[in-house]
Amino acid sequence: MFDKILIANRGEIALRVLRACQELGIATVAVHSTADANAMHVRLADESVCIGPPAARDSYLNIPSLLAACEITGADAVHPGYGFLSENARFAEILAEHNIQFIGPKAEHIRLMGDKIEAKRTAQRLGIPVVPGSEGGVTTDAEALAIARDIGFPILVKAAAGGGGRGMKVAQSEDELSEALATARAEAKAAFGDDAVYLEKYLQRPRHIEIQVLGDGNGNAIHLGERDCSLQRRHQKVWEEGPSPALNREARDVIGETVAKAMRELSYFGVGTVEFLYEDGKFYFIEMNTRIQVEHPVTEMITGIDLVLEQIRVAAGGELTLAQHEVEFHGHSIECRINAENAVTFRPSPGKILSYHPPGGLGVRVDSAVYQGYSIPPHYDSLVGKLIVHGKTRTECLMRLKRALDEFVIDGIQTTLPLFQKLVRTPDIIDGNYHIHWLEQFLAENKAEA
Amino acid sequence: MARDPQSPAKSRPTIDAAAIRELAKLLDETGLSEIEVEQGDQRIRVRRQFSGKSFSNALSGVPAPVAVTPAPAIPLADDPSKHPGVVTSPMVGIAYIGPEPGARPFVEVGAQVVAGQTLLIVEAMKTMNQIPAPRAGTVVRILVEDSQPVEYGEPLMIIE
Repeated sequence: MFDKILIANRGEIALRVLRACQELGIATVAVHSTADANAMHVRLADESVCIGPPAARDSYLNIPSLLAACEITGADAVHPGYGFLSENARFAEILAEHNIQFIGPKAEHIRLMGDKIEAKRTAQRLGIPVVPGSEGGVTTDAEALAIARDIGFPILVKAAAGGGGRGMKVAQSEDELSEALATARAEAKAAFGDDAVYLEKYLQRPRHIEIQVLGDGNGNAIHLGERDCSLQRRHQKVWEEGPSPALNREARDVIGETVAKAMRELSYFGVGTVEFLYEDGKFYFIEMNTRIQVEHPVTEMITGIDLVLEQIRVAAGGELTLAQHEVEFHGHSIECRINAENAVTFRPSPGKILSYHPPGGLGVRVDSAVYQGYSIPPHYDSLVGKLIVHGKTRTECLMRLKRALDEFVIDGIQTTLPLFQKLVRTPDIIDGNYHIHWLEQFLAENKAEA
Repeated sequence: MARDPQSPAKSRPTIDAAAIRELAKLLDETGLSEIEVEQGDQRIRVRRQFSGKSFSNALSGVPAPVAVTPAPAIPLADDPSKHPGVVTSPMVGIAYIGPEPGARPFVEVGAQVVAGQTLLIVEAMKTMNQIPAPRAGTVVRILVEDSQPVEYGEPLMIIE
């Protein structure tokens, strides 16, 4: 087992990782930018190292600085959290060269799944159903048109180097295709440095359902059920729940086993999430994330398994302690991502938290690194924290969520708490009757009324 | 270059406001004019500031109304990062005050330096990075020891 883990991240996930390390008796090193000197996990860590000025590229993305911090503290492993360098294969390789364990998948799998075209090819090869689309990248408009006619409009043009909802353009009909291609290419080049694009059938009202997996790199892999993350705004997940209101046990077992089998064949190492669009009873692979995800607590609440702890254990050479048939799902869980934004305009609202009271009680979990008096820096994402609730049934879970949201106090900044208070009282949400466009339609309708 | 994994990455000096208030209160209660307390590597001195009244009043028997405004505490372990002449580390690494083990340091306290002159080296990832003086002046304090791990922004020296 590791002696000392350097946490290469910030905010709530850094605190989450720190908690797992402390429970395992592993020493912790918190690295931080100057803007995060007062972060909660920095205060709680055994050691801290300031690695740069506020800008992420000079601090949390600064590989030489992170390596130097490993060197001077003697850390023997790095946990990258999510975002930042968590899916940077080069970072994983550099750490390996320095005999520092990267707590994440093998670099080759990060690379494989980071290229969305390759990822899709691999998924297909492994028997995972995919969205109908181009076989690889499309280079000419003529080629694109031929494929699009074959698949059928509307068509989605996607950046090969994209992911996480970025770098996508819809063409509703043939007329729009050329422009969608040109725009997608230009944006992809600017955002990812690579203008390769591919085509997919655009599904009208799918749900976003993802499967959590865990592998030990020796050919053992299990799935830990699904999360329904259909409620999104600008491709960013806002509300996640598990189990999905749309799946029954049989559907879950089938897709879960398909994915777990694929991970066994890959000899996948660590945690990962295979994301699907789900429409009319069919699953369509969109991408795989080779890291711990923001919404991992949903799975933890219904399975009772500490995913970060498992990540660390497996990275230290441990084997899976659970067989698939031993994984049990109990009750229902919902997570709300609370951002420092105005609940209607979504304008960012960084600043000092004057009053803070998180809700508590049975089945209520708050994963947040803020505290009363803490100032949210403007340089990073606006996540204040995650409110995760568990209940024996979905109904009980919703009741508890409503209560917890009403109890939650965050004063001094604007937050999206009011949005969740509204959602939890909305019939479609209560019925579980929504899809990936639902939230944006809801927001548009409500804005019109306001 | 030996790296000492035992030494902590840093320890932040904190101003113990409660202790200072305590000392100021003691000044009042005891009528003392100065109290100095040393705890660990922190030293705090609290001194009462007298008003302009001369001592001759006191000597003539008229009690001189002494302006009792306890001076703001002058912690000797002051925060060097606030000093206008501070030179901070631009990177994470190990600080070396000389070019090689056993060699003379680049500069010593009292040395006159010109802008761009090498003050010390910070080693990061096996590369030696020379840290230049940002301006001409005198080295008044050297805040790091040889082979000390430093973080980004850590105060290294004070040049006035």
